[in-house]
Amino acid sequence: MITPRHLLLLSAASFGLILQPARADEKPFRQMIDQEIKAAWQRENVKPAPRSSDAEFLRRIHLDLVGTIPTHDEARQFLQDTDEQKRAKLIDRLLEDPRFAQQQASVWDLAIFGRQPPGGEVTRRRDVFQKWLQEKFAKNEPYDVWVKEVLNAEGNTSEVGPAMFYAQFRNQPEEAAMAVSRIFLGTQLQCARCHDHPFDKWQQLDFYGMAGFFARLVFVEGGNANQRSMLIGEKRTGEVMFSGPVTEQVPGKKGTPVQAKFLGSTPLEEPALPAGFKDVEVKGAKTFPKPDFSRKEKLAEWVVAPENPYFAKAVANRVWAQFMGRGVVHLVDNLSDKNPPSHPELFEALSKELKARKYDLKWYIRELVNSETYQLSGRGESTDAAPRWFERARVRPLTAEEILAALRLATGYDQGVKPGEKLPNAGNEYFMRYFGEPLNGRGDFQASLNEHLFLNNSSNLRQMIQAKKGNLADTLATSKEPAEERVERLFLTVLSRLPRAEEKERFAAHLTTAGQKPEALVEEAVWALLNSAEFRFNH
Amino acid sequence: MNPLCPVREHVSRRAFLKASLSVGGAAVANWGGLFNSASLAAEAKKQGMRCILMWMNGGASQIDTFDMKPGRPTGGPFRPISSKVAGTQVCEYLPKLAQQTDKLAIIRSMVTSEPDHPGGITSMHIGYRPEVSIAHPELGAVIAKYHGKPDSDLPTFIRMGPAGNGGPGFLGPEYQPFSIGRDGRLPPFSDAYATAESEKRRSDLLKLVEDGFTQENKADPYGAHRLAKEKAWRLLKSKGIFDVTKDWPKAKERYGDSEFGRGCFLARKLVEADVPFVEVGHDNYDSHADNFVCHKANMNQLDPAWSSLLIDLQERGLLEKTLVVWMGEVGRTPYINNRAGRDHYIRAWTIVLAGAGVKGGLTYGETDIDGKTVKDKPVTEGDLFATIYSALGISPRTKHMVGTRPITVAPERSVAVADILS
Amino acid sequence: MADAPNFEKCTLAYTLPWEAGWVTAVTFIGASRKLAAGNEHGQIMLWEVPEKAGETVPLPTRRLDGHTNYVSRLFSAADGKTLISTSYDHSLRYWDMTAGSKGEDSVVLQTKKAPNKEPVPTLTHKVELQASEKTLGGHKDWIQATDLSADGNLLVSGDDKGNVIVWDRPAGTELRRWQLKGWAFAIALSPDAKLAAVAERIPLIFDSGRQAALRLWDVTTGQMVKDFSNQQGAKGEHFGAAAWSPDGKLLAVGQGNESSGKIYLLDAATGKKVQEIAGHLSGVNELRFLEEGKLLLSTGRDTAIRVWQTSDGKKLAEVGKPRGGQFKDWYHAMSLSADRKWLAAADMAGAVAVFAVG
Repeated sequence: MITPRHLLLLSAASFGLILQPARADEKPFRQMIDQEIKAAWQRENVKPAPRSSDAEFLRRIHLDLVGTIPTHDEARQFLQDTDEQKRAKLIDRLLEDPRFAQQQASVWDLAIFGRQPPGGEVTRRRDVFQKWLQEKFAKNEPYDVWVKEVLNAEGNTSEVGPAMFYAQFRNQPEEAAMAVSRIFLGTQLQCARCHDHPFDKWQQLDFYGMAGFFARLVFVEGGNANQRSMLIGEKRTGEVMFSGPVTEQVPGKKGTPVQAKFLGSTPLEEPALPAGFKDVEVKGAKTFPKPDFSRKEKLAEWVVAPENPYFAKAVANRVWAQFMGRGVVHLVDNLSDKNPPSHPELFEALSKELKARKYDLKWYIRELVNSETYQLSGRGESTDAAPRWFERARVRPLTAEEILAALRLATGYDQGVKPGEKLPNAGNEYFMRYFGEPLNGRGDFQASLNEHLFLNNSSNLRQMIQAKKGNLADTLATSKEPAEERVERLFLTVLSRLPRAEEKERFAAHLTTAGQKPEALVEEAVWALLNSAEFRFNH
Repeated sequence: MNPLCPVREHVSRRAFLKASLSVGGAAVANWGGLFNSASLAAEAKKQGMRCILMWMNGGASQIDTFDMKPGRPTGGPFRPISSKVAGTQVCEYLPKLAQQTDKLAIIRSMVTSEPDHPGGITSMHIGYRPEVSIAHPELGAVIAKYHGKPDSDLPTFIRMGPAGNGGPGFLGPEYQPFSIGRDGRLPPFSDAYATAESEKRRSDLLKLVEDGFTQENKADPYGAHRLAKEKAWRLLKSKGIFDVTKDWPKAKERYGDSEFGRGCFLARKLVEADVPFVEVGHDNYDSHADNFVCHKANMNQLDPAWSSLLIDLQERGLLEKTLVVWMGEVGRTPYINNRAGRDHYIRAWTIVLAGAGVKGGLTYGETDIDGKTVKDKPVTEGDLFATIYSALGISPRTKHMVGTRPITVAPERSVAVADILS
Repeated sequence: MADAPNFEKCTLAYTLPWEAGWVTAVTFIGASRKLAAGNEHGQIMLWEVPEKAGETVPLPTRRLDGHTNYVSRLFSAADGKTLISTSYDHSLRYWDMTAGSKGEDSVVLQTKKAPNKEPVPTLTHKVELQASEKTLGGHKDWIQATDLSADGNLLVSGDDKGNVIVWDRPAGTELRRWQLKGWAFAIALSPDAKLAAVAERIPLIFDSGRQAALRLWDVTTGQMVKDFSNQQGAKGEHFGAAAWSPDGKLLAVGQGNESSGKIYLLDAATGKKVQEIAGHLSGVNELRFLEEGKLLLSTGRDTAIRVWQTSDGKKLAEVGKPRGGQFKDWYHAMSLSADRKWLAAADMAGAVAVFAVG
């Protein structure tokens, strides 16, 4: 008999991954996860949701792993499949889908840059960076390896993918220190910029000590009118100047240079400058020679070093939250003594195991989504979007990219686009504007009226749901199938499930309303499903 | 059912949605009292109260406006002028407002807790220090809940320009803010292409799908999604009120030809139409550099807008029902930095209230000779919110259940400033 | 003409003590080594700079009392007989530099914030007193922008209500005025005193009411003759300093905002940008052409005076140094003595810095 464990090994081996052989007495990691979660349910007297239905799971896993919904045919086939291992098999298949790398790159791109990155024109379009990151996920390069490459990045953003990271922080070492601490170390430093952190252990000198690592970065803007670019390099000299708490700034007070210092750790030891040293001229430079001593290199080494106390925890928690809706430490970028994990043992185990697996994110994701915890239903009494004890599947809004991808796929918007051809613009900028930032400062979904004004009244959505040769509306309007079968097709295509009896009846009746044009009726029916909460959320 | 939690809180969201979602584009129900607002309003001691929040984004300087320190090292280059109230001086760049000080209660002893923008914007909109575990509702959401009119098609919580960042918090999506441009312009896509009949047909189908789904799926985001859809339909009916282009050419002579002035004028029209809460943001006071020119430019806009708003409200008999709040997230430092700026300051700053029975013509609290500390009668953000809610007839001790915790609308230990309440 | 001054060899000769708050304006008087400086409280103080560097630090000789708020600019008439001051107290004042003393007062001197120097001990010192000869009213807000014509006969001043007034300088009478949309931030008169370049601002942040303009006005009619506001480099910029080259061909303007301090050389006939100069870390406070327009001196919000070659924008020298730290002090103004041996700067940190030019 083939167990899921065997499947895992098979599929992993077949893709040439080096896996440590599991000891016979060792439980698969996913079971450890479920044990810890269940123990907390018992302790907290929490009643879990049932296992997800196949349709729930199917839609959820597609969105989480490949960033869009399944096609009509994929949905029908999966729901009819009687193989008991079909979920694990689907997971394995999607993990090898090229869209997996694209989706993970998109998630990390958003985590690193947000929707409004600093850096103006240069950071607005990040194709080179995104492509670079996609390649990392496509070959499943260990997380610590590519993060180190990001932190070590130099060169031109138009050629070197990771160079885009620093382009956000042009001449603002303080901003770079905050971002690196937050994104890769899960640590909030910003309060310590102007005064010692009131609620955490960080002091101003911790902040400026970290900023010191970025004080020598140099930036030269270039590119053309279509795409601005930035050349990133590093000098051998230059310090962050510190002039005390912001409340004590007075005229005439001179800043003093601050020694670069690893967060919560030791100051950086630096060799003396070579005699008669003269630093590079920044203005007009086309390239920068690597300095004989590079601060950012030292920082990169320290960030990903096994003994770094934050790095593994931060990524284990962040990726957990990506799939489970909230971190074991919530929020994911606030690891702090003052903000303990909900499941302390689990929290330790996640980072320990991920580190032991050499930051193999694909292995980690496979374990997470194969867990019973991940595969719980979204149904149940709890009204939290992401319940604290993980007793029900989380609900998250689709990202702007996911909405657009799902809409295109569901409506057949790209029918007739030949493989390899660039997809037509479907009003992408509007989707970014209205769906780009659906959460409040605490990560909670905030429904916006503007989103619905757009869905109700925009020609951008309408052009997707009006019949056009070969698209969904056209297929439904011109089909000779009985109305009930067309309704099934509509539901499977948009919501990846079959209609309930009542839905089938009402929608069939609607499609055959007397005195109305079939195209208009189909448009209304497609619109109704696209506007449902069921479509709007990953549940 | 939890005995601490009032029944109406449990009026099922589904029941409500059934009642209102069936309307489609043809017959549109009300935005305002989505639940049972009549009984909620009855809980408030006063009826039909409103509030306009003039939000000084970035944090206005107290020393350069209402707590001047002429001749002191912290005083800066602005000079005080006398006002309608003997002994109360204001900045020379607020000459029109100086004639309205009989309406103002100037609190010069604010001592608050959040020194930075995001935290300060949150805390000065919710009355609490921000907490990760509890999403407190903004002022506008609480007022929308207790003073929203059941029979109004208009949103109950409207904001323009830079404003709060908290939203309705645990009060839920019903009390979400409706954000319009700072000149009152509606968001794009506010015109329907669907005919009323088509809108009705497609919304009926949507209702069917939503009802089926939310039978078993009860997470909060679904309710938020559905309510926002509701609001999109209702807007079509009520949007005429936001168009002030006809009245503005005349009004701008008094309110000043600025977006903020226009926002204040629109706010007046909205409270006249029973909208209980309007926030008008004014950008931007965050003058870490060039504090004085920044404040002068801002006051040139603030002075005519604020004074005209007070005059108009009084002429219409609305001032006794409308609380006008002037505040931002922080005050500014007494000392002047080496960029001719003032930084954030929360140990001694000023907020101004008017209307809704607040006693005018008085100053409350006092700072020291240089404005560095509060000499007596400190007021926290919690105390301020207790005062605001009291003025509007909402008990600061009004409780909402959050999980298992009862949470009061103003913090437990906050005290309303009785001296300025009538 | 004397040899070109060698700014590369400038050294700090004296830091003049004054318990002043910010020193906001400075000028040498006529051809003398007499130096006047104003502060944020409205005081003006006079000093005699010694003949050469290395002498005892000079103490102020006289205080000019009259202004009640920030002294924004100081000008000396070429003959050295009249000092002209402008202020946030809405007035311009004339001071007779030949007049005798009208009494005396003791002042406390201390450079408690003198940068890069040991603090000078507090010192009580007697100074003569003088009142102003004439007060020019007519402005209703802060006077921030002023210029005096090369022949000293015309004075143009602008305020934060947008009033620009042209004065008959010797008579001290108003000739005409015009109204701007924004506030006057910088004014430069053409060498023939026929045109005034006026930079306007309404310094709102994130508000559509923010306004910026750079326009040329006919001084004799009060009519606007050219609008450079939309020229490349000028659009949306608040210029806090302006100067006209002696041949009238170039107009130098400097960004006066906090975030950057670039200097643009514009073709004065068309407004087209001909040269961009790095300028200062933050805003520019004063600009002056030298050597028939070959050189441009600038100072601003980074406690440095820089000397630029106008033909290519190259920096030739830097006098003073940015002080580092998160934020910087400013030099509000600078003045070069008539014999070009001394360069003085009005330091926000509460002192007048006097550099000996090499």
